[in-house]
Amino acid sequence: MEFGPALYHEFGEAWKTRDGYRLAKTISPDLPPAQLSNIWQSANSAGNWKSARDDDVKAAIKRGLSSSPARLDGISQKEIKGWVEVYFAYWQATGILAEVQQTSSWTTAYEQWKVLINALIQGYNGHEFEAWTIPCLYVAGKHLRLFAMQADENTSVNDTSAAAFQDDFDPELQKHQKLEDCARVLNRVFSLCLSDRAPLEESRKWGLYYIINLLFKTYFKLNATGLSKNVLRILTAGRGDMPDFHAFPKSQQVTFKYHEGVLCFLEENYAEAEKHLTEAWNTCHKDAMRNKELILTYLIPCHLITTHTLPTEKLLEPYPRLQKLFLPLCRCIKKGELHKFDLALQEAEDEFVKRRIYLTLERGRDIALRNLLRKVFIAGGFEPVAKEGDKPVRRTRIPVAEFAAAISLGSEEKVDNDEVECLLVTMIYKGLVKGYISRERSIVVLSKSGAFPGTGV
Amino acid sequence: MATSKAPSADPKSSSDLPAEQPQQPKQQTLEEDDEFEDFPVDGTPPSPHWQADDTEATQNQQPQHLWEESWDDDDTTDDFSNQLKEELKKVEASKTKR
Repeated sequence: MEFGPALYHEFGEAWKTRDGYRLAKTISPDLPPAQLSNIWQSANSAGNWKSARDDDVKAAIKRGLSSSPARLDGISQKEIKGWVEVYFAYWQATGILAEVQQTSSWTTAYEQWKVLINALIQGYNGHEFEAWTIPCLYVAGKHLRLFAMQADENTSVNDTSAAAFQDDFDPELQKHQKLEDCARVLNRVFSLCLSDRAPLEESRKWGLYYIINLLFKTYFKLNATGLSKNVLRILTAGRGDMPDFHAFPKSQQVTFKYHEGVLCFLEENYAEAEKHLTEAWNTCHKDAMRNKELILTYLIPCHLITTHTLPTEKLLEPYPRLQKLFLPLCRCIKKGELHKFDLALQEAEDEFVKRRIYLTLERGRDIALRNLLRKVFIAGGFEPVAKEGDKPVRRTRIPVAEFAAAISLGSEEKVDNDEVECLLVTMIYKGLVKGYISRERSIVVLSKSGAFPGTGV
Repeated sequence: MATSKAPSADPKSSSDLPAEQPQQPKQQTLEEDDEFEDFPVDGTPPSPHWQADDTEATQNQQPQHLWEESWDDDDTTDDFSNQLKEELKKVEASKTKR
């Protein structure tokens, strides 16, 4: 919407109805280039703004906002002044953004957008912006991050060859220069929301989770999980004086819980991770397939560790990518096909590592092994019944050689008995098998009551 | 004894894994497409305030059908079980020979 009566009207209506999302739309950069260009071409009777002095443009915006057809009862001059700065920055940004596809000047776009978000921060600090306007911060923050990533991408394409000759060139630092800067700006927005002392119903604290989610995405990209944990710590400390988590929009709850869950997951705190991811899963919108897929990517390994459960085919049915990722492993675990499990893990190693689930899935080998041992036990059949009418008892003395044969099955290498004993001891230690090894007789004596805890036998 | 944290850290325990312990995966940044997607905020479904009816939880009346126990498999008729039985028979045979 170019600067003119329509935009000023929109501002007035949004202000009058306290509709933050409506207001935020008036500073959206997410427009087709033609529309951005239209805004940039804004003019008034004195001529085209592009050739006017900054102060004249600001004066024109100020006249426009004050003269909004909707009567802005109670808006202060101070607040109007704040919005003039915001819209002025927006207008300048549209000039860059309208042509950014051709010029690739994402760095300039980022810098200009930073001017806008700073004008907003200034608005809350010194110009009496009210909390209902925080969706403007959402739009500003969201795009600041997107522009930063674009800028970094372009820089790495254009500059690396030249810069690489300099001695102090650090490619890692260079790679995310703008995104790191963006993280600092978002952190200021986070503090701005957190430090608001107004009563909760009109507090900027309602903006916290949106901003935190932006911070999480930024820190994840920067591989700075430690900083994400910091945010969580600050949040826990301030929780007593905050709106209830479940009063926030579900979209924000889900995004937050997903990241909180993944953070716990990366720390191998699987019980907590499962809790958060399950909540994210349950609250997620049913049509948000990609997000559901991402939640499951971490929830499935969690379930494997915490409850030894696997996803059913029904659960994976809508997600071909997850089927490809997990089904081979799941089948091997269930059947106890140890060797095939190793092959499946190797096969998809790159993908697992990329998703950071390799180490967790590797622990599924224990369960595959446990299931294999159980198969040997079941194949052993029953002891001869001593007396008519006695309940048949499974054979509980099993030669180590039988386990050795089972473990070697499918692979070229033969495992010797010492190795097998070592594996068995580990399984017993972990409580996955109950029994002991009689070394002198090379026999495993399994418990008569529940040799494999958790199942009937 | 291997700890529960790194089961295959014990070199003896890796029978058919590659000889060395798989490398600690390098820290990697997630690909762009790995990023959790934004939910639309402009009121088109799913808007940020969707109803409980639209959540995943209400879609599955029987959540127990989504997860299954990994270690109750008593099916002994599949290929692998048969293979295993053959193998165990061989062990038995070699023992009686001795």
